[in-house]
Amino acid sequence: MNTELSEEAVEYGRTALRAFEAAGGDQIVQDAEREPARRADLVEPVLAELGAWDLDPRGGADELEAVAALCRVAGWWALPYPVAERLARPADGSTDGLVVIAGTGPGGAAGAAGAGDARDAGDAGDAGLVGYGPAAPVAGLGRRWSTVTFDGGRGVATAAPPTTTPRYGAFVTGLVDDPALVPSQASRDGDGLADLALGLVLPCWTLLGMLDRAIDLTRAHVLAREQFGQPLARFQGVQFQLTDAEVERLGVEELAKYALWAVATGRGEAVDDALALRLAILEAADQVFRVAHQLHGAMGFCDETTLSWISRYSQPVRRLPLGLSATRDELTRRIGRAGLAGPFAPRREPNLEVQPL
Amino acid sequence: MGEGVETLRRDLRELVHKHVPPDFLGAFTDDPADLEVAQSFSRTLAELGLLCMAWPTEFGGRGATLWEQTVVREEMWAHHEPRGAQYMGVNWVGPAIMRHGTAEQQQRHLPPIARGEVIWCQGFSEPESGSDLASLRTTAHPDEESGGWRVSGQKVWTSYATMAQWCFLLARTSREKRRQQGLTVFLVPMSDPAIEVRPIPSMLGPHHLNEVFFDELRVTEADVLGTVGGGWSIVQEVLAFERVGIARYARVERLLQAAPAALGAEWDVLPEELRSRWARMLVHARRARLLAYRVVSLQAGGRIRPDDSAAYRIAVTRLDQESAEVLMDIVAGASLPGEEGRRFRRAVEDHRRYSVSATVASGSVEMQRILMSRSLLAAR
Repeated sequence: MNTELSEEAVEYGRTALRAFEAAGGDQIVQDAEREPARRADLVEPVLAELGAWDLDPRGGADELEAVAALCRVAGWWALPYPVAERLARPADGSTDGLVVIAGTGPGGAAGAAGAGDARDAGDAGDAGLVGYGPAAPVAGLGRRWSTVTFDGGRGVATAAPPTTTPRYGAFVTGLVDDPALVPSQASRDGDGLADLALGLVLPCWTLLGMLDRAIDLTRAHVLAREQFGQPLARFQGVQFQLTDAEVERLGVEELAKYALWAVATGRGEAVDDALALRLAILEAADQVFRVAHQLHGAMGFCDETTLSWISRYSQPVRRLPLGLSATRDELTRRIGRAGLAGPFAPRREPNLEVQPL
Repeated sequence: MGEGVETLRRDLRELVHKHVPPDFLGAFTDDPADLEVAQSFSRTLAELGLLCMAWPTEFGGRGATLWEQTVVREEMWAHHEPRGAQYMGVNWVGPAIMRHGTAEQQQRHLPPIARGEVIWCQGFSEPESGSDLASLRTTAHPDEESGGWRVSGQKVWTSYATMAQWCFLLARTSREKRRQQGLTVFLVPMSDPAIEVRPIPSMLGPHHLNEVFFDELRVTEADVLGTVGGGWSIVQEVLAFERVGIARYARVERLLQAAPAALGAEWDVLPEELRSRWARMLVHARRARLLAYRVVSLQAGGRIRPDDSAAYRIAVTRLDQESAEVLMDIVAGASLPGEEGRRFRRAVEDHRRYSVSATVASGSVEMQRILMSRSLLAAR
């Protein structure tokens, strides 16, 4: 059993990491926050240089793995740009990207958490982290976004102008359903559930990159910072906290690879696998960022530390389209009595008869 | 994992179905018939060449791949380890004798292990030496009369000591500057009158925990495994044979997956939050399984480091305990009528009692954290 990404994907990730480092590294998100209008210009040329726009995440395992590796790099640098959403755009280029939104039905209006009330486009900027209703970190980029809901319903939405600064909204803005644009989606390849799985998994790879970075930054900090005449890393209380956080990170890395494989092979359970990943990585993010902030001390709140930026810009992917509790509810509802696929799931793999208890 | 491996899984399930009663909860219960089930099942596996399939062909095995070994570990633990104590002889006592034993020791010990006829116990922990194994005090004093040694001291938490025929005993043969030096492994027969075993009643059931006292036990050069004073490296190597150790996630996954069917219609009226905790545990069980596969994959690629299994062990022992709490809540609120319901309730209750020991047995979780943090914080 191969539990690794392909060497090509890993190498592509290394190349991307260096390319964004050369383009400013941690400075990119800081510049974008100061001058939101430059957001695309700071990131898109590097993506073009990396050939990212030629990658098709629906084009097979190799391309999907390369996209995942790139999303992970985007997380490492907290790139102020929805790399995962943009690269998951429909193959026909009819919209600027794909976002998963809460609720059911095109546009996600019905049943979306907190989105039950009708609202007009004027309210829509107050969404997500800064309001309610379908939202994504796509402020100031393209206007038209493909959407997919948790029942696989597709739609097209328009990104509202943001109503707050990125410092507080992390580039999140509301999405307004645009029924007039839906018919153009009929020709799209694949089905809505495949889009849903893809749209859930790729942002998790971005968050994984953020967890990689948070652990790395914290490791460096506790090795360098001295108290009571020795590095913090010498204290077992510090060691154990960091170790537990790393166990979380390693665990979700494996789930991320598994979910990616599920998407690449078009497994029927790919949405379950994606939700399982999302649940685990949201739990992991909770612990990793809590430990990272605790071990950084007051320094971790300060913008002179990279942790402060990574922590703030992790918020959209951790809360949208569903936060931890809502993700768990969705997974529980979806798997019902059948559980998750695996060697001990009787229904999913009938050739492997499990002896009843 | 591949088709061949899944065929093996299917074969093992069929064998368990055929030879192990459905209410079997392990070999070490109050009912002596359970031990006989395990001994008989082990002999059956041996006859089919499945007991020692990981062994090299020159020792009667078939050089099974690490993935085949993984499936064996999963299926056996998921079905309450119907090999009983045999896994210890098969998984590490045998391989240690293959690597360090004399021709005579190999001839004497390997065939009975391969046939599933002999039970071994492990004489490592002592009242004052748990995680800090190198501090052990059981001592082998030179015996001028015989030219060998006389061993005196006490071991504790020794599983299967009441039924074992042999003990893999670690004792101090000399005092050196480093505590890890001067330790020697002896292969000693438990029938010797100089050995006394006292069972320790516990929530795990009989036979799991014992004290073993050695009072001037006579051993000779022929009983030494490897070299005198070279015991520590053998023990380290032995522990490395068991990178993944017990596949605890497999029993957890089987119990969790069986819960809705066991509860029937009552499943749907469980509190939503409890079903939500159940779903979360399924995710955590998968995560632990994938962490185990990561270790196996690293091992298969020859890239394994000592700390690589630590993350898995931390995750899986925590899973064992958290899942037990969830499953106990599930069965506590259900009527579970009939034989199948009773069986499920007992299996969950058994899992809960065992899970308490998960973070202690085979090395405490704190030791795994120390191992992992050393690597994490080492210079790069």
